[in-house]
Amino acid sequence: MKNFISNIGYFFKEARRICRTNKLSNVFTFLGTTLVLLLLALAVAGWSVSSRLVFMLEREAEVSAFFHNSISQSEAQALAGQIATFDGVLDASVIDEAEAFNRMEDILADEAGVLELFDENPFEAYIEIRIKPQKVSQIVEKLNNLPQIESVRDNKDILDQLSSLTNALSAIGYLVVIAVGITTIIIISHMIRQGIYNNREQINTLRLLGAPGSFIGLPFVLVGMLITISAGMLALGIALLLILYSYGRIGSTLSFIPLPVKSELMLIVTTVLVSVSVLLGILGSVFGLSSITKKSSPSS
Amino acid sequence: MIELKEVSLEYQNGTLALKDINLHIGQGELVYIAGPSGSGKTSLLKLLMGMENPTAGTVTVLGKSLTNAKPRKISRIRRKIGPVFQDLKLIPGRSAMENVLMGVRFLNFSWAKKNENALIAIERVGLAHKAYSMVENLSLGELQRVALARAIAREPKIIIADEPTANLDHDNAVNIFNILSSLKNQNITVIVATHATHLFDPKENFTLIRMDQGSISIEKRFCSNGERDIDTQMHQRSIRVERRGDV
Repeated sequence: MKNFISNIGYFFKEARRICRTNKLSNVFTFLGTTLVLLLLALAVAGWSVSSRLVFMLEREAEVSAFFHNSISQSEAQALAGQIATFDGVLDASVIDEAEAFNRMEDILADEAGVLELFDENPFEAYIEIRIKPQKVSQIVEKLNNLPQIESVRDNKDILDQLSSLTNALSAIGYLVVIAVGITTIIIISHMIRQGIYNNREQINTLRLLGAPGSFIGLPFVLVGMLITISAGMLALGIALLLILYSYGRIGSTLSFIPLPVKSELMLIVTTVLVSVSVLLGILGSVFGLSSITKKSSPSS
Repeated sequence: MIELKEVSLEYQNGTLALKDINLHIGQGELVYIAGPSGSGKTSLLKLLMGMENPTAGTVTVLGKSLTNAKPRKISRIRRKIGPVFQDLKLIPGRSAMENVLMGVRFLNFSWAKKNENALIAIERVGLAHKAYSMVENLSLGELQRVALARAIAREPKIIIADEPTANLDHDNAVNIFNILSSLKNQNITVIVATHATHLFDPKENFTLIRMDQGSISIEKRFCSNGERDIDTQMHQRSIRVERRGDV
């Protein structure tokens, strides 16, 4: 450890020298990594926005269960309580005839006058059940098995599509993260290997002098980390500017899209990009270094 | 300190570089290895550095077997050796001082001691005035002295030098030999492969290993009092005992 600390200055100096000797290659690596990480930042931002959208839609996912007329108000309340305990049910509440009428009036708005054509309230009381869309089939099946339930209106097609959308968005998100991870690791490890190749004579001399692999490899790890983290910072800066710009545009033209809070989104993107940059920098460098640390012939 | 038992080395192309070598070198010994080109001098040194694996026999350096040793173990042993390579292996684009420091940075010395050792070693080889010159600007003789300084600064138990005076003029070569022979007074084992047998100091105690076609033909030890002290451990074919003047 003492040896490591006394050599810190040397490691950074070596890292700077390696950067200089492979300047063009490192510039391209930096730009390539920046673009890949920018892609990741945009994917994370898009994922966050779409997750928010899905969350909002999921909150609206509900089925309506109509019960027999013979059931009293208190029995209906007890039934709603029972339904609320089903797996996948967020909450269940009784909507009486008057409430159902009022809601329809709200929905129809200017057209609500049509309701005056009825002599009496045409709506029936029902139980409004907010659910997780993924569980709609199981919940509907359970509701149909309840003797007090006369019919169920489930909007299953819409809820199934919502569920598919959620799964697709998650899958795309994971794919993007994996693709970005692999691409960055390949770029960084290739750059490290290039650096090792360019400095092979020095590395061979150090080996012959008995230098441990960690001493030889650390400057290369530093270069990989510095380039990845710098690229991550640049990508982050561009991504944050794009988010600020997009919020200004979407907020005024597509105001119906339920965007997450701007500061929260920026924090998510920052956290993901910083941690991914550091992690990928280390992983890329370690993979690249395998050519130094792997078992070699005695002459090297 | 160094022990070779029945050691043979055959390269992949079929060249038999060393044949059934038996050798013992003690601590603080000064050993010269002489012989024509291709006689196996460099191969023997490579074995001692763990740069080659013997195809038969065992090589023990500083009490540790180098035969089929793992790279990590070889590295640990190399840290106790001060090598002067035939092709010097100095790192371009750096000063003499940086090159010397490169040999000690990873050793278990304090930061101050690393710098102090490097400076002392540079001074010892007479290059204090060029310590911060880039190696590209140094003459061949100076480069050879930088390589020797790098070996000395490591405070090694063994110095292994392969043709350290090749391409040097007489004065520079004598200077290098004087430095090398003075190291044994610090209890450092010094092994030098060389063609320059005419530069040996007759007043010094040393062991001479003559090599010929991969075999050790004569091993002799000279004493400073002028009397012959002939090592009776002789090997292989031509066993010759020579007077000091025959060297």
